[in-house]
Amino acid sequence: MYLKYRKLKNLIFHFSLYLCAALVLIPLVLIIFFVFKMGATSINLDFFTSLPKPVGEDGGGMKHAILGTLYMVSIASVISIPLGLLCGVYLSEFGKGKVATLLRLTIDMLTGVPSIVIGIFAYITIVVPLKSFSAMAGGVALSIIILPIVCRSTEEILKLVPGHIREAGLALGLPRWRVIFNIVVKGNLSSLTTGVMLAISRAAGETAPLLFTAFGNMYLSYEIDEPMASLPVQIYNYAISPFDDWQRQAWAGSLVLIVLVLGINIFARTLISLKHIKFRYRG
Amino acid sequence: MNNIVLSVKDLNVWYNDFQAVKGISIDYPEKSISAIIGPSGCGKSTFLRCLNRIHEEVPGARAEGEILLKGRNILGSKIDPVQVRRSIGMVFQKPNPFPSMSILENVTLGVRLLGVRDKSKLMQVAEQCLRKAALWDEVKDKLSQLGTSLSGGQQQRLCIARALAIDPPVLLMDEPTSALDPIASLKIENLMSDLKKDYTVIVVTHNMQQAARVADYTSFFVLGELIEHGACSDIFTNPKEQKTEDYITGKFG
Ligand SMILES: Nc1ncnc2c1ncn2[C@@H]1O[C@H](COP(=O)(O)OP(=O)(O)O)[C@@H](O)[C@H]1O
Ligand SMILES: [Mg+2]
Repeated sequence: MYLKYRKLKNLIFHFSLYLCAALVLIPLVLIIFFVFKMGATSINLDFFTSLPKPVGEDGGGMKHAILGTLYMVSIASVISIPLGLLCGVYLSEFGKGKVATLLRLTIDMLTGVPSIVIGIFAYITIVVPLKSFSAMAGGVALSIIILPIVCRSTEEILKLVPGHIREAGLALGLPRWRVIFNIVVKGNLSSLTTGVMLAISRAAGETAPLLFTAFGNMYLSYEIDEPMASLPVQIYNYAISPFDDWQRQAWAGSLVLIVLVLGINIFARTLISLKHIKFRYRG
Repeated sequence: MNNIVLSVKDLNVWYNDFQAVKGISIDYPEKSISAIIGPSGCGKSTFLRCLNRIHEEVPGARAEGEILLKGRNILGSKIDPVQVRRSIGMVFQKPNPFPSMSILENVTLGVRLLGVRDKSKLMQVAEQCLRKAALWDEVKDKLSQLGTSLSGGQQQRLCIARALAIDPPVLLMDEPTSALDPIASLKIENLMSDLKKDYTVIVVTHNMQQAARVADYTSFFVLGELIEHGACSDIFTNPKEQKTEDYITGKFG
């Protein structure tokens, strides 16, 4: 009797948990479904290989925006990944004093700054003095998005390494920097990479910081001091345009963007779960 | 008596204001095993951790006194702890192989970072140390597997091999078998007796039978003080101090 009651309770709780999980999944599934439905029909090879056609002419693609996104995300990565990793290592390995507390606070506040504000900041500090929208300004704005994420994820990951692992390294007569880089950091390269990639995928999808920094354009540019197109901004511009063909292309662009971001995410997460690089400490 | 390798003179250790080790002096003869026993919290680990200056890793920890390694005071302010640790290896209570490193990498890391790059030389060091740690036969076919994939007892022997790889004349062990089952413990005990041929071993243990089985000398600590130090044969059969006798007969502890 009692057992039956308990089993019933167990069942109800299990069911509610699955229900919650399903509810969380619904928006994601719907988004992916609609983007695929609307985007798949407009996507073709041309979309990847050609540039926008003049208004009124159908066809053309977003080659310039896809490359622009890659270009600016690369600029952002070059700036903020080394800095973020170093900051994270500092916070995890030496982060006890006042400087570290201040740095941690700064990083936390940076994480909370709305991305449009970061865009305005880059506009005032780079676009205005140089009197031109530029890929550089866009890259810097994105780097401010990436930096705190990389820094905090690095710190959290390295803090999980138990102190006795560091002591084991020191006890081998290794200098501290060797212990940090060869044991603590190298031992967690895959998790660190994951943190970095999640930050990159976040930056790849941002529109607001690029709106008045890189601004966007309709042709292919590799110039760092000139405006540059990006997928999110191009999607935004096409989506609010009155032309059917542009709206279709906005859906196609969304599809490419979502595949890119999800792809990076999934790749990053499988890296964590690969057997030979998992955290494993035995008793 | 043999040559004295390590000589501790009037060692006092504090954690901030709390004094954990009080005026302990002990000499460690070359190629011997010395045990440290005593109730938990009596300062055994604290004492041992000063011997390779790893105590400096604990914020607020401070050691005073002298620890002479072949006549040189390793607590001296001009001495680099990194150099000290190359002469005095350590094995910890919990087996702690380096994560995401293979068995081979675990053993050779020390020598590799000291500059040895030659593959065959590294392989030779690995085999030699794994043999000394009585682990070679169990792992020789899976050297590229993760160190953490081994059983607890094997991991501990891997940690011993890792410490031996830089060939320190002195080896410290802090309760190396307390996390292991009796069979794995016995293997480590046998191994210690073999190590005595080449190394001076200082082992902390909470297990008196273990001290009696493997050690030549035993020190008995209570509340940070050295109560008695002497040859095992004396301490366990004919202790001079009442406290020692009470402890080994189980009346206190
Ligand atoms: N990191 C620390 N900070 C403050 N006190 C400590 C620390 N480590 C140990 N102690 C104290 O020092 C004393 C000796 O500890 P320990 O050397 O670990 O004893 P044992 O190894 O003999 O069990 C204990 O009273 C313990 O509470
Ligand atoms: Mg202890």
